[in-house]
Amino acid sequence: MLFDELLDKLITETTSLSLPGFSVELCLSATIVAMLMMRLVNLDRFVPASVTAILGAFAALIFTWLQFRQIGAADAVVSQKIFTGLLIHDTFTVFFRAFLSLFLLLTIALTSLTGIPDNEDGPDFYALLFGATIGLMIMASANSLLMLFVGVEMASVPSYAMVGFLKGRKPSSEAALKFVVYGAGAAGVMLYGISLIAGVLGTADMSLLAIRLGEAAAGGSGGLSDPELRAVSLGILLVMVGLAFKLSLVPFHFWCPDAFEGASAEVAGFLSVASKAGAFGLLVRFALALSGAPGTESLMIAFGVGIGFIACVTTTFGNLAAYSQTNLKRLLAYSTIAHAGYMVMAVSALLVMSNSPKAASMQIDINRSVEGLLFYLFVYLFMNLGAFAVVAIARNHTFSEEVDSFKGLVSQSPTLCIVMLICMFSLVGMPPFGGFFGKFTIFASAFKAGDVHWFMYVVVAFGALNTVFSLVYYLRVLKTMFMDARPADARPVPVQLGSLESIYVIALASFVFLLGVLPQFLSATAGAAAQSLAKF
Amino acid sequence: MVGETLRNLLMIAWLLPLAGFAVEIFGGFWGSRKSRVAAWMSVGCIGIGFLCSLSALLIWGNSNSWTVLDHDSHDETHVDTDHAKPADALATDTHPSPDSHTSHPPVVRGKTVYSGTLYYLARFGSLDISLDYYIDSLTLVMFTMVTFIATCIHLFAMGYMSEELTEELVDHSAHLSNGHHVHRPGRYYRFFAFLSLFCFSMLGLVLAGNIFQVFIFWELVGICSFLLIGFYTERKSACNAANKAFIMNRVGDFGFLIGLMVLWTFFGTFRFGETVNDTGEVQAGLFQMLARDETGNVLRDAASGDVKIGAVTTGADPGGNRTIPYSLLVVAGLGVFAGCVGKSAQFPLQTWLPDAMEGPTPVSALVHSATMVAAGVYLVGRFYPMFVQEVLLTIAYVGCITLFMAATIAIVATDIKKVLAYSTISQLGYMMLGLGVFGWGAGLFHLITHAFFKSLMFLCSGSVIYGCHHEQEMPKMGGLWRKMPITAFTMLVGVIAISGLAIPGLIGLSSVFAFSGFFSKDAVVATSLAFVKDNPSHFLLFIVPLITAGITAFYMFRLWFYTFAGKPRDQHLYDHCHESPWIMTGPLLALSFFAAFCAIGGEDGPLYRLITGDQPAHIAHGIAAAAGSGEITLPGHDAIHDVHGTAGTLALIAAASGTCLAWLLYGTTLVNVAEIRRQLSGLHGFLVDKWHFDEMYDALFVKPAHVVGQGCAWIDKTVFDGIIHASAKIMIFVSKWDKLFDEAVVDGFVNLLGNSTFAFGRSLRVIQTGRLRQYVMFIVVGVVALFAILFTTFPG
Repeated sequence: MLFDELLDKLITETTSLSLPGFSVELCLSATIVAMLMMRLVNLDRFVPASVTAILGAFAALIFTWLQFRQIGAADAVVSQKIFTGLLIHDTFTVFFRAFLSLFLLLTIALTSLTGIPDNEDGPDFYALLFGATIGLMIMASANSLLMLFVGVEMASVPSYAMVGFLKGRKPSSEAALKFVVYGAGAAGVMLYGISLIAGVLGTADMSLLAIRLGEAAAGGSGGLSDPELRAVSLGILLVMVGLAFKLSLVPFHFWCPDAFEGASAEVAGFLSVASKAGAFGLLVRFALALSGAPGTESLMIAFGVGIGFIACVTTTFGNLAAYSQTNLKRLLAYSTIAHAGYMVMAVSALLVMSNSPKAASMQIDINRSVEGLLFYLFVYLFMNLGAFAVVAIARNHTFSEEVDSFKGLVSQSPTLCIVMLICMFSLVGMPPFGGFFGKFTIFASAFKAGDVHWFMYVVVAFGALNTVFSLVYYLRVLKTMFMDARPADARPVPVQLGSLESIYVIALASFVFLLGVLPQFLSATAGAAAQSLAKF
Repeated sequence: MVGETLRNLLMIAWLLPLAGFAVEIFGGFWGSRKSRVAAWMSVGCIGIGFLCSLSALLIWGNSNSWTVLDHDSHDETHVDTDHAKPADALATDTHPSPDSHTSHPPVVRGKTVYSGTLYYLARFGSLDISLDYYIDSLTLVMFTMVTFIATCIHLFAMGYMSEELTEELVDHSAHLSNGHHVHRPGRYYRFFAFLSLFCFSMLGLVLAGNIFQVFIFWELVGICSFLLIGFYTERKSACNAANKAFIMNRVGDFGFLIGLMVLWTFFGTFRFGETVNDTGEVQAGLFQMLARDETGNVLRDAASGDVKIGAVTTGADPGGNRTIPYSLLVVAGLGVFAGCVGKSAQFPLQTWLPDAMEGPTPVSALVHSATMVAAGVYLVGRFYPMFVQEVLLTIAYVGCITLFMAATIAIVATDIKKVLAYSTISQLGYMMLGLGVFGWGAGLFHLITHAFFKSLMFLCSGSVIYGCHHEQEMPKMGGLWRKMPITAFTMLVGVIAISGLAIPGLIGLSSVFAFSGFFSKDAVVATSLAFVKDNPSHFLLFIVPLITAGITAFYMFRLWFYTFAGKPRDQHLYDHCHESPWIMTGPLLALSFFAAFCAIGGEDGPLYRLITGDQPAHIAHGIAAAAGSGEITLPGHDAIHDVHGTAGTLALIAAASGTCLAWLLYGTTLVNVAEIRRQLSGLHGFLVDKWHFDEMYDALFVKPAHVVGQGCAWIDKTVFDGIIHASAKIMIFVSKWDKLFDEAVVDGFVNLLGNSTFAFGRSLRVIQTGRLRQYVMFIVVGVVALFAILFTTFPG
């Protein structure tokens, strides 16, 4: 094949296939450029950056909708590699794009309500936000170890800057610095893992990993005494450590409470939801890429059980450590850690079930574990963002994020308190809110995975036990808000029903409620996304 | 197709008032007590309902080419109900019927009953409880009549109730304990909400396709009646009247329930007509199950005498294998009739109706004369195929006693509404009598005509009361026709109609010119004469209604003369009274037109033919006496037609003499009424005390109930309360120990658990030092540790 033929093929593929599949990210990139250009010509004095950002995010949402329609068509190719196999475009990817675009839109709406970046800094802040979102989208659609790393870094670097965005605030700068150093360490570890995997298996294409792994394991013991497998296992472990950093799993969570406390509540909300979502998308892809290689099943089940063990430790640690927190953002940071633990149980179940000898007959259960994870992420978006939004709105009036500053808030703004109540009950997992169904589906799939390995029953037991643990600190916050008397010297929080803030939080809370009452709409879509990953 | 259209139209007419009710009662008064929105909404709902009903009637008529109105004299074509044919419930069942005894060519009289199921409420095995519909000519006529009258009365009430349009209303009839009048906000919207609810219930009752559904709506109209009688809740008399009406109706409903149980046990269905259920199976209704032979008697098992039940009425084994004892069939019929006695205020449950006049006058007109109380009569008519001779005879005698007794009390009543109330009871008695002596058409004919002229008269009395500032005593009135000419004129139309006056020979030789009441009462009296001719021992069933026809004319003209003619007896009242506004007189004129002319043509006229379009099959020829059924012969149409002339003449003479007597006593000053009253003071007192029924019930039921109640209260207070108090004390004692255990042991354990968990959580803080160097070190430690774990736990 001649070089110019090759070039022609590349060009046609890129223009006809890759770029349309990448339209959402392109749209976001264009918005970044537009915002920065507008400041260059002083247009941002007339059109605030937040407006441009909202329009851009909305356009991205429309593009994802178009992609949904296109991929949902009867004759559509369910799974498509784009950019010469660097990225993959399937329902799962589109689901995450939709999720992230929606979240972006909601976050921008929240920031423009609370006014955290002032008009001057708006373009900078939103450029960072958009950049991080693009990185997260790339994470969710990565099909190459290289893109895995690029995605993680592209999501992380703007996050560092956003954590330190409250310039001149010492805790903020300190948190940003800790985050940067910790993140750099984790990135180094992950990069080492990637090079180990790619070096031993001879490819960075994730869709080939399982085959190469099977070839490498062929003839060997299938255990760690095989040097190639040993090196690959170490590589997998190191990559997973890098992802564990993004997911703030114990023991790689140390950055999380400090960063959350230092960052503004809006940024903390972004970090706790979006950045988790991207990392989960990547983790699911990575786990599935390594699954099903003949001869390595028991090794992969061991990894799955290991993740389950980490999940138990993480949830228990997150919940117990949240008990004694006095800062609400810090409390929510530990709650985030705990929830990452719940969600990673789904990945554990996925890995265990996909590598069981009965994997082909368990495809429905495997799909269900992914579906449960996606459902949980979506509910988590609304309930956690709702909680952070309440914190941010109240902070604008009280200038404090301490639990004590919420004492008796119900007497002044019942709307905020009731939204907080709904969000927190959903975080606990009470029906009829969406959190219940998310938790239920994940526990159910973990229970099903117990057929393959007994340890998964322990994981379910820990999950159930932790639900009780978590009740304590959520209820403590609610008790403070509803039952304590408002101190006389407390600053008033006059958020009336009908104000923009109240409409925003009520919209979030009503989604939490709707997803609990009518889960079938979302779970059908999540099921389709899970199906697009199915091997059988 | 026609069936579906009819069903949809009638459902709109039926459900719209419910929607109206929901909006009115919850929407409240739209911010202001002075808003008329609720009233207009209510009028709109029932008005649209009237249009729907009327179009349904027209569509129904067109679908059978109005054969129902064809002139075929009294020689009814044999209407074959065709029980055996499992027809599609919605399919029109029009087919020519074989004319059994003919001198006329066979006339196609459409048999046009539509029945089906709207909604399944519950299912027990193969037994359904459902909401059904049963649409025949009677349903349609009732729908049209009810919605029309209700529309008129709604409009009238908009004027009559207008004093409720205020933020603060002083009720002069209600007193507080300190002697002051009650002040309360106006309740205009609530009145119309209740009226809407009533219309919904009443129409549901008429549309009902099974007897259980009838019972549901029966109770609903009961509660509406309760709410409306007690509309002025602050008045003690209104509250008592509402309670009385409700409780006395429950007595009748007790019988109704027994009847339902018998039917459910033996027939296994409540439905009237055939229906196709959702599995496509055709299920026979009650009317199909109870088969009758060619003499009109129910089919009975030769050996045991039990009545056969079954969908099969032809072939080798007519009636099927199942049976019901004849006595229980009588019990079922009497039970259902007991409900009708309560609802229609028949002897012995008649005493609630006069008291019900405590409600606002539009309520008296709509609920307690034209529609709800007629529901009992309607149900007797609807359920007619299930009644055997003994039941019919009971119905006839109950009606006969009622009509006479109520008429006598009406003679001495002085409250204008009470006269009309007793008149209503009496006329309902006529209807029951008519039905009881096998005048199915006659009874229901009288129901429709009565509804028009009685609602008219009640509205007139309402107009008088409104004009006279809530004065209801006739002795204070007099000469009002000069002040309120429209009311006086329309009232006169009603009075003439109810009295049954007629001018013979005005149109042709054989025909008469008369208002509606003449024709329907004539039909009832003629039927009873035919009945008495066949069964001479029951001669009272003809004599009493004939005499009462005279009494009716007497007390009605007495009312008119008392109120409108002569000289004013209370000058102050006379000076201040006035004619009512157009919104009240308009409905009066509309109703008076119908009261006068709705029955034009009598039994050959359109109304009678419409009503009897789908009459039960066995009516046309009467029922011959059969062994074991009381040896009663029930007259067929021919027999009735033979005596029609005689009966009509006798009734007219009675009415005319009653009218003359009334004119003599009250229209002129020739006779001193007070002197007569003094002469007959014993009788007068007896009548004024309403035959002492209230005292009797008081002594027989209320006082014993009070005694028993006091006894129960005593037992409750001393014995049961004692036991309860003792057990409560024991409980407190146990709880004290339980509390100690709880606090010491259980709480201690829980606190220990909680504290240790919390302490552990607190200790976790220690790891989070905040030192960056340590954090980074933890990455390395974590990785190494995890790899070590992997190596140690995963075998090579």
